[in-house]
Formats: sequence, C-alpha cells, structure tokens
Amino acid sequence: MGTEAGRPDIRAALWLSLEVAAVSTGAAIVLGTLAAAAVWRARFFGRDAISLLLVLPIALPGIITGIALRSAFGLMEIPFSFWTIVIGHATFCIVVVYNNVLARFRRSSAALIEASMDLGADGFQTFRYVILPNTASALLAGGMLAFALSFDEVIVTTFTAGQQTTLPIWMLTELVRPCQRPVTNVVAVFVILITLIPILTAFHFTRDSHEAAGSGK
Amino acid sequence: MSAATVPAPPSLFRRASTALYLHPRLLLSLLLTPPLLWLGVIYLGSLFALLAQSLFFVDEFSGMVVREPSLNTYRQLLTPANGDVILRTALMAGAVTLAAALIAFPLGYYMVRYASVRMKAVLYLGVMLPLWSSYLVRVYSWKLILAKEGIITWVAGKLQLTWLIDALLALPGIGGPSLSISYVGTFLVFLYVWLPFMILPIVAALERVPLSLVEASADLGADPGQTFRKVILPLALPGVVAGSIFTFSLTLGDYIIPGVIGSSQPFIGQAVYLHQGTAGDVPLAAALAIVPIAIMALYLTVAKRLGAFDAL
Repeated sequence: MGTEAGRPDIRAALWLSLEVAAVSTGAAIVLGTLAAAAVWRARFFGRDAISLLLVLPIALPGIITGIALRSAFGLMEIPFSFWTIVIGHATFCIVVVYNNVLARFRRSSAALIEASMDLGADGFQTFRYVILPNTASALLAGGMLAFALSFDEVIVTTFTAGQQTTLPIWMLTELVRPCQRPVTNVVAVFVILITLIPILTAFHFTRDSHEAAGSGK
Repeated sequence: MSAATVPAPPSLFRRASTALYLHPRLLLSLLLTPPLLWLGVIYLGSLFALLAQSLFFVDEFSGMVVREPSLNTYRQLLTPANGDVILRTALMAGAVTLAAALIAFPLGYYMVRYASVRMKAVLYLGVMLPLWSSYLVRVYSWKLILAKEGIITWVAGKLQLTWLIDALLALPGIGGPSLSISYVGTFLVFLYVWLPFMILPIVAALERVPLSLVEASADLGADPGQTFRKVILPLALPGVVAGSIFTFSLTLGDYIIPGVIGSSQPFIGQAVYLHQGTAGDVPLAAALAIVPIAIMALYLTVAKRLGAFDAL
C-alpha cells in the first residue's frame, strides 16, 4: 500500500473514480427512485416503453452507450470533462437503483399507505414516515451496487473521459502494456476491496429476498 | 387555551399534498419528468447522434468528416475485412451463449431442486460475488492464469497433460502459441465473465416451475426424461432466453477481453474503439456500432416472442 499511496498518478485516478462514483450514484438514486415510483403506482400509456427505455442501457452492449455519447458530445462540440464521465455512468446506474427499489415497492403493501392517509397524514408525511423507512434498505442496496458498478466501469468511460484517467482506465493501460506488474497487483487487490464492501453491504440489506438478483450490469 | 380549537389554515405542504392527491396525473408527470428527460434526451438523443454520425463519411482525399447524409460508410462495412470482424464477433457471441447455457442449466437445476439451503446460499454467493467484483481485476487474473508460465500450464505439466493443451492449441483456426494468445483463451474468459448472467435468470425461471406439475407428469406415466423435455424445459426456456440476451449482447460489445486475451484479430468492439480513437474515423466507428444494435434488435424481437421479458 505504501508504494501505491505514494504515487500521485494512482492517487489522482483513485480520487477521480471515487468522485465520479459518488456523484453518479447520487443522480441514479434520485432518478431511479422517481422512475420506480411512477412505474409502480400508475398504469399509463407507454408504461412498457418506459420500462424498456430504463433497461436499454444495460441490455445494449456498453460500447454502444459509450460511442453514442461520444458521437453526441462530438456533434455538439462539448469538451470532455468530469461531467461527461458522470453522464455516462449515471445512465447505466439508474437501472440498478430502479430494479432494487421497484422490487421493494412491489413487496410492500399499499394498505400501509392508505392507513397512513386515513390517520390524517398528508402525502409528504406518508412519504417521510411510511414509504421512506420501508424502502431505505433497498435504496441503500441499490445505491451501493450503483457505486460499485460506477467505480469499476471502464468501457463507457474510455469513450467519455478524453484524457482523464480513472482507476479502471489506469489499470487497463497496465493490462494492455504491462510495465509495473507489482504495483498493478497492489491496485488490483485494492480495487477488489473497495468494490467488495458496497456489494456485501447490499447483500446484507437484501438477504431475505433475492432483490439484487438479475439486476444485471 | 381555547384558541387552539380554532383550526389553523392548512399549511403550504398540506395544500400541495392535497393538490397532488387530487391530480394523480400531475404527480405522475412530476415523478416521470426527470428520469425521462435524462434517458429520453441524453440517452436516446445520443443514440440518434450515433445514427447521424454513421450516415456521415470521411472524405478520402482530405481525411475530414463530411457532414452530409450518405450510405458511403455502410458500404465500407461490406468490405471483407469488416465483414470478417462482424462474423468473428457474432460467432464468438453465439459460442459463448451456447456454452454458458449448457453449463448454467444443470447448475441452476441442481441449485433449485437438490441443493440444501446452506449449499444453495453458498452457490448463490459464489455466483453473485464474481458478478459484482471488479471486471478488470478478473480479466487481469485470467491473463495470469492463462499465461504460458501460468497455473494451467503448470498443473498440466505436473499431471503429464501438456500434450492435451498442445493438441488444443494446434487446432487450426482457434489455436495459437499459448492459451492467452488464442481464441480458446478468449472464449474461456468470456464464458467465465458472463456465466452469472446466464445462471441467475435460469435459477429464477426454474424456481417458478411448480413441483406439482412435475409430479402430475410422473403420475400420468411420463418417465423422467419425458417430464424434463415436455414440462420442465418449456417452462424454463424463457429464463434461458433471458440469460442469452445478456451473454450474447455483452460478448458482442466487449472490447477489453479480446484485446487483453486472444489473438490479434479484432472484434467489433475493438474496431469501434480503434476507428473512433487513433484513426479518427468516427462515422465508421458509429456504423460498426449500429451492427450490434441491429443484431440485438433482431434477437430481442425473437426473445419477446418466446416470453423472455417476464423472466428478466
């Protein structure tokens, strides 16, 4: 770890990866939960199309998301930045949160919400005291998985990062042209540890159901 | 304190809440607008940008991208070199999907029907952990495993089985100088990395096959083979198709694995990456990326017919 911590290039890459993962996870939690709430409660025209649209970023190969975003940035002459990476990551993280939260919504009973309303709570109070405590662990699990997914993502990132180096991109250059294998080994172990913690946490919160199953990458 | 009995005017929150309750459409549109803006505008918009880029072409003399619609770039796809790339990738995706289904089905069947609760949990974690742990690290470890001085060659040497690996590598077409520089190696790594995506939907589908149907089939005189073919397999098929969507699509688009492990022949993903990067031919990269979309669209249409979406 000493070597790794002393290397400014690795430290910068690690920091960039953590920042991107944190911001993308935040965006994905908000957007994924909103989408799950809409698809759960209402029956409306185009509902199936919307669930397909949500799953599309992981049903299509990652390289398509990458090259599509790159084409769009190119056509609109948007320079690569921190935010171009975040846009790519949030796009495929939304579905992870969406799957987890929707599964929890479907298992929770609508009677609880009606009871809360009958007892005089307004919509916001019901959300704050009934819906949120019920879905908190699913939200956390979805967020953790989204974080792990974003922290580890390399295919979309290579198209949206430009000259910036996230930790997976640093590892990829090492994989293609190995020149410092011991350092790479240390980074590899470190990456496993960082991604393992959120995954095991997510398991812990969804262990009595198999919600996290099949949420896909 | 008798003044407290006078009802206070409803707070702003409560009035907003009532308004939302009375107008469910308003609530729905408030919920849907942000995710739809993101996915509809950014994601679908980018896909259209991709389509637009694929219709542009690079002028042969100036090397500049000409922003006029034409089918020039698609004509380039039909050259033997690009055709080979597409065919090679599709064959690999098909082989990986088939092998994954053949391995995942018995394993899933064991997990659902025979494994004890404890064993099932162990197997489940064994499937999920690799799925969610770092993709690059797993590819990196496989590079070390398959290398000429790696553990497979070492074990084969100790067991006097080096001839087996040599025979495998001597096969025309799929062989190569070592496991990490051959199609066999690429295939093995693809299979390992995408296998969980096949196992999980199959397990989910098998869990939904009611045991009573299996018993009824036996009661009505079917032997186990017939029960399997006529009852279990048709009911579990949507799970297999759902899994194959993932394995097929992921293999079609991956460009890291064939770049790190395999012969130097490019796959679609690598070609896309090369064209958009060093070559600067974004139109050709975009047109190449349309190919997996087209293949997947076809695949998804067939899968929908087979009812795979209920098993996702």
